[in-house]
Order: sequence, then C-alpha cells, then structure tokens
Amino acid sequence: MLAYLLNLATLICINAILAVTLNFILGYAGIFSLAHAIFFGIGAYVAAYMGLTWGSSLLAVLPVAMAVAGALSLVLALPALRVRGEYFVAASLGLQMLGLTVFAEWKSVTGGNSGLSAIPPARLFQQELDGPYEALGLAAGCLLAIVAVTSVLLKTSFGRNLRAVRDSESAACACGKNVAAIKTLSVVVSSALAAVAGVLYAFYLSFINVESFTLDTSVQLMAMIIIGGVGTVLGPIVGAVLLMVLPSLFSYLPFLPQTEVGSIQQIVYGLAMVLLMIYRPGGIAGVARQGVK
Amino acid sequence: MLLLQLLINGLQVGALYALTAVGFSLIFGSTKVFHFAHGSTFTIAGYVFYWLYSIAHLHWSLATAAAAVAAVAFGVFMDRCVYLPIKRHEGSYFTVFVASFGAAIIVQNAIGIVFGRSFISVSTPLSASVELMPSLFVSPLSGIAIVCAVVFFLALQVFLMRTNVGVALRALSENPELVRVFGMNPRRLSTVVFALGSLLAVPAAILTSASAGLNPAIGHHVMLISMAATIVGGVGSLRGAACAGLLLGMAENLALLWFPPQWTDAVSFIVLFAFILFRPTGFFGRPVAS
Repeated sequence: MLAYLLNLATLICINAILAVTLNFILGYAGIFSLAHAIFFGIGAYVAAYMGLTWGSSLLAVLPVAMAVAGALSLVLALPALRVRGEYFVAASLGLQMLGLTVFAEWKSVTGGNSGLSAIPPARLFQQELDGPYEALGLAAGCLLAIVAVTSVLLKTSFGRNLRAVRDSESAACACGKNVAAIKTLSVVVSSALAAVAGVLYAFYLSFINVESFTLDTSVQLMAMIIIGGVGTVLGPIVGAVLLMVLPSLFSYLPFLPQTEVGSIQQIVYGLAMVLLMIYRPGGIAGVARQGVK
Repeated sequence: MLLLQLLINGLQVGALYALTAVGFSLIFGSTKVFHFAHGSTFTIAGYVFYWLYSIAHLHWSLATAAAAVAAVAFGVFMDRCVYLPIKRHEGSYFTVFVASFGAAIIVQNAIGIVFGRSFISVSTPLSASVELMPSLFVSPLSGIAIVCAVVFFLALQVFLMRTNVGVALRALSENPELVRVFGMNPRRLSTVVFALGSLLAVPAAILTSASAGLNPAIGHHVMLISMAATIVGGVGSLRGAACAGLLLGMAENLALLWFPPQWTDAVSFIVLFAFILFRPTGFFGRPVAS
C-alpha cells in the first residue's frame, strides 16, 4: 500500500510539472497547444537515449533535454506567431500527430513502438536515486522548483507582458511590446520545462514507449488545467491530483468491467470538461468567470 | 501506373475530405463556433450505418437515412445544449472549444465501448475493386464519392444563393446583429447551419466505412483534415475548403510515392504548416494572420 501511494505521488508530481508548464503558455499567454505531450516525450527520449549510451547523471541529462525540447519548440512557435486562437489549435494538433509519427518510426533512437527499456535510474553527484523515496523527493523537488521559476517569471515584467499579449495582442503591440519575442520565449520556456518531466518519467519508470506521449496525454494535461483552473498557480496542481487519483478510484469500483475502465475515465474527463465549461468556465480553483479570452 | 492509381485514390479521398471540410467550414463561418466535435458527427454517422447495414442487415437506404438522422441530431444537440448555454454567458472561443473537445472525447470512448477499438469496415457490393488496366484497380466507390461530393456541393451552393434561408445564413456570417434587426432568429438559423453541416459529413462517413474502414479514433483525423482544409482554403470560403480538402487527399496519397503509409497525418500537417507560414490567407478568403 505504501509503495502504491509513493508511486502515485511521484506520478502526480510529474504530471503536475507538465500541467504547470502547459498552464504557463495556455493560461498566461493564451497559446492553446495540443502538442505538449510531444515535449514531454522529447525529454523522456533524450533521457532514455543518454542514459542508455552515456550514463544518467541528471546534471548532464537535464540541460541537454531542456535544450533539445526548447530548440524544437521553435517549430511550434512559428505558427503561434502567425495565427491566433482556433487556427493555432489546428497547427498544434498537427504537430502532435507528426511528433508521434516520428517517435514511432525513428526506430534507431526511439525503439519504435516497442520503446526503450532498462533505462538506468537517475544519478545525482555519483548517487543513484533508485529508491521510491528518492524518486518522490526528486520529482517533488523539481515540481517545487518549476512552480517557483514560473511564479517568479510571471511576477516580472515578462509575466505582465504575457498577460498583455493574452488579453489584447493589438494593444500590447501598440504599447511597443515585441509580441513575437514574448510568445516565442514563453513557448520555449514552457517546452524546456516540460522536458524536465519527461526526464524524470523515463528515469523513474526505466521504460518508455510512444503510448505515453499520444494525443490522449496532451488532452489529459489540458483537462487537468481546465478542471483545476486555467491561469492560476494552484489550478494545474489541483487538476493533476484529481485526475491522477480518480482513475485509481474507478478501478476499485467493482461494477465497472476492468477492460473498459480506461474508456470510462476518458468519458468522465470529457463530461467534466463539457459541464465545467457550461457552468463554471474558470475551473475548480479559479474565480468564477475567469476564462482565457 | 502507380502514379495513376494514387491519383485516383487521392481524388476519392479528397472528395470525401472536401465534404467534411465544407460542413465544418459552413458551421464555423456562419456561427463562429469552432465545432471540434464535427469529427464525432462523422464517426457517429459511420458507426450507425455500419451497425444497421452490416449487423442488423437493413437495406442500405434505410441505414443511410438513419445515419443522416443521427448525425443531424448530434449536431443540433451540440448547438442547442452545449454551445448555446455557453455563448449565453461567455463568448470566448476557448470555452466553446474545450466543451466541444470534451464532447468529442465522450463520443470516441462511448463508441469504443460499444463497438470495440479496432478497425471495422462495411463490405458492400460496390466495395470490390475492378482491374481497369493491368495493375490499376478502381472501385465503383471512387466514382460515387466524386459524384456525391459534386452533387452535395452544388446543392449547397444553390441553397445558399437561391433560398431565403440560404441568404439569411450568408448574412449571419457577415453580421449577426443585422440579421436580428431584420426580424430573423439567429438561433433558429444556427440550428439550420448545424443540421446542414452535420448532414454533409454523412456521405463521407458512409463511403469511408465502405472503402477504408472506420475506428473510434478516426474523428481526430477527420477533425485535423477539416481544420487544415478550412485554413488552407481560406476561412469563410466554402469553395476554398472544398478545394483544400481535395488537395489534402491528393497530397496524402501522392506522398505514398516516397513515404510509408504511417506518415499520412504528417503530410497533412506539413501542407497546413506551409500554408500558415507562407500564405496565411489560404487560397481564397479572409486573412487569419494576426
């Protein structure tokens, strides 16, 4: 039971990191990305590849994973600069599909559909972090650090610029803000931080394959921040906890057929998204009516 | 010969894409609702047809009619029970989009529970391919798909140009306030738009189920294509959406000359991406760039 709870807590922390980073672009910059799972995946594959070939020192892997994800996120930033709102959703959905195809087909690096296994646990200063407590500590530490980094960023002038861009791009532009630079930077920061979650995930599970980085994951992350509350500090974390704990509750309900539990979960997420949007668009932790414009 | 074969396949797939894309573009253009669940309309129509024709062994015309009723009912339900309450208190695209997305997830998983997650396909007397020339296989469905697309598109154009409701719909996309001032009811018009748009997905869904097959997740693919076609064709232009749907179908199939079939989604994305970067206004229509 304790092992189970530790595992759940670690996965909650990893998902909360993803939710916080997605909220950073969605909630504050108004960039609606359906491709977040791809940057999670890039982090995980970089970690797995480096761990299997050179070694799993976090001090080496984290910067590389963040750099790779940040650089590749410029691909996402390009359409984000050209089009707004709905059109960007289409572009990011396309990028999600493209990324998944690359993950599944670039067999020499990603292992194709069967994935990569026997990834060594993370190392920090020659110390292997392979126990459940160490893993949880590492994940929780990273979550705290990322919440701190994003909160500080949002308090600076950069954060104010982000919100200005979200609320009115034209007004921000008229005030002499470099909208393109602000958007690009926010996408790069968010993707690089999402890669951290990927690194933790790969080292923690020691096995990854494309299944973890599908559109379903992107959707689940989106559901987390929407249900929790968009544009709030607490929202994504509340959402991550809720959406990670609910599935385990579902699997304890005896009247549900085991094979359909996954689908029923998804239906519940979908229903929650529809009903929340009708009755409380700000999410659970949000103030009523605080949606993204 | 392979090239000719792929061109014919591309034309068939493109014609079906054009139909779904026009439905999406019609809804988005006149009501400004980003109807992400349009892919679900497609899936519902396809599965209703499959269920009645292949499992319950009904006559194809009855199965088609039932699929059409189901698709229209779903579209109108989404408009009345989901989008309308949201638009009443908040108009942001984000809220509408999330609700629409949630509905798409529900439909996909509900269909997965009822019919399973694997591919299903409907075999009809028309599904079998005929060898026209050595190594050139064409099924009668290709012809039907192209004829269907042309007929439906022309009928839609006549409806929009010649009937009072059609003219009102075009006015709705230009200026909803003015429509209200003239004493027409935008809410009723939006129901008509959703019914029409959903209806356009029906022939595409049925023909796809009879040729390539369906699975519950196909809605995402259909949605990507419809959104891409709307952008590539130019927002607000039905003609553009139709041409772009055709282009995407062709691109997907011609890409098979160089890439393995797993890359089809990637090809649609690259076409979309190229248009966003180099020609954000699309073929025809209003600019979408900020």
